[in-house]
Amino acid sequence: MVGLSVGEKHFIQGGIAQDLRSDGRKRLTYRPIYVETGVIPQANGSARVRMGATDVIASVKAELGKPIPLQPDKGKVAIYVDCSPTAAPMFEGRGGEELSTELSNALQRCLLGGKSGAGAGIDLSSLVVIEGKICWDLYIDGLVVSSDGNLLDALGAAIKAALSNTGIPKVHVAVGASGSEQPEVDVSDEEFLQFDTSGVPVIVTLTKVGRHYIVDATSEEESQMSSAVSVSVNRQGRICGLTKRGGAGLDPSIILDMISVAKHVSEQLINKLDSEIAAAEACEDES
Amino acid sequence: MRGIQLSLNQTQKLRLQRALEQLESLSSKANSNASVTIADTIPVNYEDGVLKGHGTSELDGEVVATMCGVVERVNKLVYVRALRARYKPEIGDIIVGRVIEVAPKRWRLEINFSQDAVLMLSSMNLPDGIQRRRTAVDELNMRSIFEENDVICAEVRGFQHDGSLHLQARSQKYGKLERGQLLTVPPYLVKRRKQHFHNLEQYGIDLILGCNGFIWVGEHIEAKDPMVEDQVNKSEQQNTKSSKNFTRLEEQEQTYTPPETRQNICRTANAVRVLSTLGFNITVEVITETVELSSSLNLDIHEMLGSEFCVLVAEREAERRRLLTKKKG
Repeated sequence: MVGLSVGEKHFIQGGIAQDLRSDGRKRLTYRPIYVETGVIPQANGSARVRMGATDVIASVKAELGKPIPLQPDKGKVAIYVDCSPTAAPMFEGRGGEELSTELSNALQRCLLGGKSGAGAGIDLSSLVVIEGKICWDLYIDGLVVSSDGNLLDALGAAIKAALSNTGIPKVHVAVGASGSEQPEVDVSDEEFLQFDTSGVPVIVTLTKVGRHYIVDATSEEESQMSSAVSVSVNRQGRICGLTKRGGAGLDPSIILDMISVAKHVSEQLINKLDSEIAAAEACEDES
Repeated sequence: MRGIQLSLNQTQKLRLQRALEQLESLSSKANSNASVTIADTIPVNYEDGVLKGHGTSELDGEVVATMCGVVERVNKLVYVRALRARYKPEIGDIIVGRVIEVAPKRWRLEINFSQDAVLMLSSMNLPDGIQRRRTAVDELNMRSIFEENDVICAEVRGFQHDGSLHLQARSQKYGKLERGQLLTVPPYLVKRRKQHFHNLEQYGIDLILGCNGFIWVGEHIEAKDPMVEDQVNKSEQQNTKSSKNFTRLEEQEQTYTPPETRQNICRTANAVRVLSTLGFNITVEVITETVELSSSLNLDIHEMLGSEFCVLVAEREAERRRLLTKKKG
């Protein structure tokens, strides 16, 4: 990212304080979001989300596997993000690794909850085929193609869109399998079950610049931030995960205020995202 | 048109296509003979000796184009000029650049060119305005004039032996740019004109169209007399130093750009962004027309970046060109 002069930084901070950012948005306005689904035909589900100049792709692949012995009635989900060197020069070679791990961890926390599976935004028990023996493993991969700030929100939206585009093949279990043997399963190529995404949360990142918070920061605005709080909220208005970034400390009352602002913003975002996903799927069906 | 990164619904796509087709039909009448693609033969009169310039080559006794573009002829020289070329500097160009390095007796600037440009300390006015030989103390205080990441407006003075540019910023209108935003557009959209500095008085903003594709939109700042500036600067510095410990945030707030000016700056910046997305030439007239169009429609500033306004701007431009050709013909 190119540096900014003192005058430009002053201008950006002034804009945020006066509720008129560099591209004319208010503090709590998102950039236009464009969603395309089915961009990767070999994957079970995929989506591409563009927010301004930020461009991310998410894909979901489902494979059969064995559930963890401690949680025999739950499937497994792994989320991994890769920052492509085309996004920014600093991502070349191993430069993007730190950001990738940070984003992967934040997404895991926001969408999957804790290690025990409690508080997950994605319902893992719907992924089980035979309890204790066979379950679906979902591998969710995110790729950052172009970075202009607010990567976490874009990745969250892309994963939500990819999951709604995901078709899990129907599995026929051979009848008569005894207790200890591996049962035979027949994975259907024709029939698919749509994944239920009504419970999948969206992620809203609030970036604090000066005394105010903004939503959907560009990379110039992010360079001015003192701290950022990412909240994942689901359709019912419940919070599924919380991540704080940035070196500055925050007063607890500010965090509570940011959570309520994020909840308020998430309602519009969920509606907008759902309509965009529906439009994208309709487009895909036509073509 | 290639690569418009907007999601348009069906009607918008049709309207945009129609507007762009209209523009194409209006412009192609003039130059249809002159545009060539790779391996096209260039019609040349062989009796006068012909000089083969850039983008041409000799093949089987014929002059053939080696790149896509428009054929230009200057006396005996024949060359092909590409339409979407990299920025090609000429002496006297006004450019906007960003300082990336403070080196001994010079600043190095990034100007969207294959090499960095150099601004010598001797090509820059000193803060006190006196014309004198630069001393070692001046060299040590270079950072007080321009620091890293500062945005500067300057003029191309000449070329160095290795092809990089020499700049000069000796006039009052050149120098550091503050209180605004810098936009980047493809360089071929900014054509060379008589005036690159525009003061849009009705909006109270300064618009600088750098030939290298960097466009500065900012608050209007009067070019100050350097002698008076000395005293004003000193008193300002004293004020800021004393109150720095206490009310830094409030004081910063007082020096923010006023909201009306900021709205105009954002509108103009968005107009430039829309024109750059559509690939139209960026001139002051087109920018002011786009801004007036958006205010007449009472659009929210951030809606100017949406698909509807983009299509409207394309249609408006097609209309304008059609009226222009009607007047001529």
